[in-house]
Amino acid sequence: MPPKSQESRPWPAPLADRVSDGADAEQVADAIVAIWLEIEQALHPIIGHRGVAALYNRSLHLTAAAYPWLAIDQPGVPAAVDPSALRAALVQQTAAEAAAGGSALFLTFHELLASLVGASLTDRLLHSVWTHSSPGSPPQDTSP
Amino acid sequence: MTTKATINRLATRVPGLDEVLGGGLPEFSFNLIAGQPGCGKTTLAHQIMFALATPQRPAIYFTVLGEPPLKMLRYQQQFDFFEAEAINRSVRFVCLSEGAMSGDLDGVLKRIVDEVAAHNSGLVFVDSFRSVVFAGETANSPKTSLQLFVQQLGMLMTTWQATTFLVGEYFNETDDNPVFTVADGLIWLRQSVQRNSMVRKLEIMKMRGQSTLPGLHTFRIDHTGIRVFAPASVVAAGSARPDAAVHGERALMGVPALDDMLGGGLPRGYSLLVAGPSGAGKSILASAFLAEGARCGETGVVAAFEQHPNRARNPILVDLIARGQVGLIDSREPDLSIDEIVLLILTEVRRLKATRVVLDSLSGFELALAPTFQADFRESLLRLVTALARAGVSVLMTSELEDRYMDLRFSPYGAAFLTDAIIVQRYIEVDSRLLRVMAVVKVRASCHSNELRLYSIGDDGIRMGEMLPDQEGMLGGRPTRKRPPGLPASPADVGGV
Repeated sequence: MPPKSQESRPWPAPLADRVSDGADAEQVADAIVAIWLEIEQALHPIIGHRGVAALYNRSLHLTAAAYPWLAIDQPGVPAAVDPSALRAALVQQTAAEAAAGGSALFLTFHELLASLVGASLTDRLLHSVWTHSSPGSPPQDTSP
Repeated sequence: MTTKATINRLATRVPGLDEVLGGGLPEFSFNLIAGQPGCGKTTLAHQIMFALATPQRPAIYFTVLGEPPLKMLRYQQQFDFFEAEAINRSVRFVCLSEGAMSGDLDGVLKRIVDEVAAHNSGLVFVDSFRSVVFAGETANSPKTSLQLFVQQLGMLMTTWQATTFLVGEYFNETDDNPVFTVADGLIWLRQSVQRNSMVRKLEIMKMRGQSTLPGLHTFRIDHTGIRVFAPASVVAAGSARPDAAVHGERALMGVPALDDMLGGGLPRGYSLLVAGPSGAGKSILASAFLAEGARCGETGVVAAFEQHPNRARNPILVDLIARGQVGLIDSREPDLSIDEIVLLILTEVRRLKATRVVLDSLSGFELALAPTFQADFRESLLRLVTALARAGVSVLMTSELEDRYMDLRFSPYGAAFLTDAIIVQRYIEVDSRLLRVMAVVKVRASCHSNELRLYSIGDDGIRMGEMLPDQEGMLGGRPTRKRPPGLPASPADVGGV
């Protein structure tokens, strides 16, 4: 995996932008789920719901090595991203642990996608996800 | 005032393709890119898309059940034409696999129309179309529904003023496929495999409203994408002819006595075949030809098709190349086609404004061609000579000739009639020495010498010598001394001394 992606890219800054200091696990979980919905929204027209779900599942599997409570990847072939299981797992952690695990999951996903289609195209595809967030603003639902 | 519809032609910027298409791709046409797996369909579609897509004319690329989009993006971005910045701006990818998997052709059609309408797409790609066909078949829908689908798609896309490309795998072009009837353009990609070589070929089987160049056109895929090699005659057509007034009517050979034998040098625009056995000095004569050009302020191009890249070259030639007075074409690409070679040579001729071209040698040239073209070598050679003649350059070709003393041959390829002039070199045995003789056999529409002259090769190149008037039978390689009239034959004369 490209080691430079972490330092040279703002990713996964969206989470830091969207949760204020002192947020509880529920708020962190909501912000993370909202970002996943945006990622799904940005990518599914291009690679399909199944394509996004497969990447999401793989990211969960990889991240669970460091955060065992993220071992919630669905067995078999997922048809779509289902963030409800992720939310359930997040709210059982402390806010700090949820934020750390959620960020690690974004990072893993980003690196996984970059390893497949390259960093510049990955940034291009996920551009809308991290540019729309501004400090303090609530996550917005971009689905039609 | 004309009331006819104007058909704009879009320049695809795929090298050579616009020439083959007869001037570009008609706007709002409904085209099919077909061929077997791996022949470059998706690459061609992407290359055209990135060339034509602009914010005013955005492109939309529907991926159906063929290549997974992630992999397609992974591999296509390796090409230079792929612009990541264009994606989601002038280029949009849309995955249709979920709808297509259920076999719902109406749903797929609706999705396509909705997306095209939403983004006002001027360029529409559907890849791969064959998977739409399969999806339709698995849903047990009759073939008419596919035809209906294609006709509707064609009609809708044209009314939306979109230039459309269906990318699909079709194994049999005579297949009764309704798509072929509906399509305005049919671009067929092929891979011809013979022995260990593979040559890619492209054919425009149909392009409504314009005259395309018929036949199979070779192309190559490298990191820049697809390059099509338009026929040699088309490539040569745009060449500016060297000005005879500037350089003189004749190209001097660099061997003054030989110029005299040719009747004053090689007429401009002529092709000259130098035929001789190994070691006779063909390449040295070719170098002298180029060096003489350089001395007169002309530039030249040498196409060397040698199998040994590190073999030492003639130092004069090396020097000319280093000084930029001679361009070297030294293609090591495997499986060359004649059109590609002509393009290489003419590109270099134009770059240097060259007046002289050397092909050294025809044997190496034949070996450099892909096996599939070797059977037609004579025809290939004719196209090469014609294209170079059209470009107005003077050409010197060398041909290795096995010394057969019983017959007088000039080329193993029957190339002699193709060329305007011929010089032949032979070895002869005289006084226990191997000597060389040279003669001008032919110079079309010009006086030339009929002398058979000795020559030698020294550090300063070729030096022409005398005739051997007292010897006869030299072309047999073992001349005999002519008997003065009235004297009986001496035993020493028998057997050639």
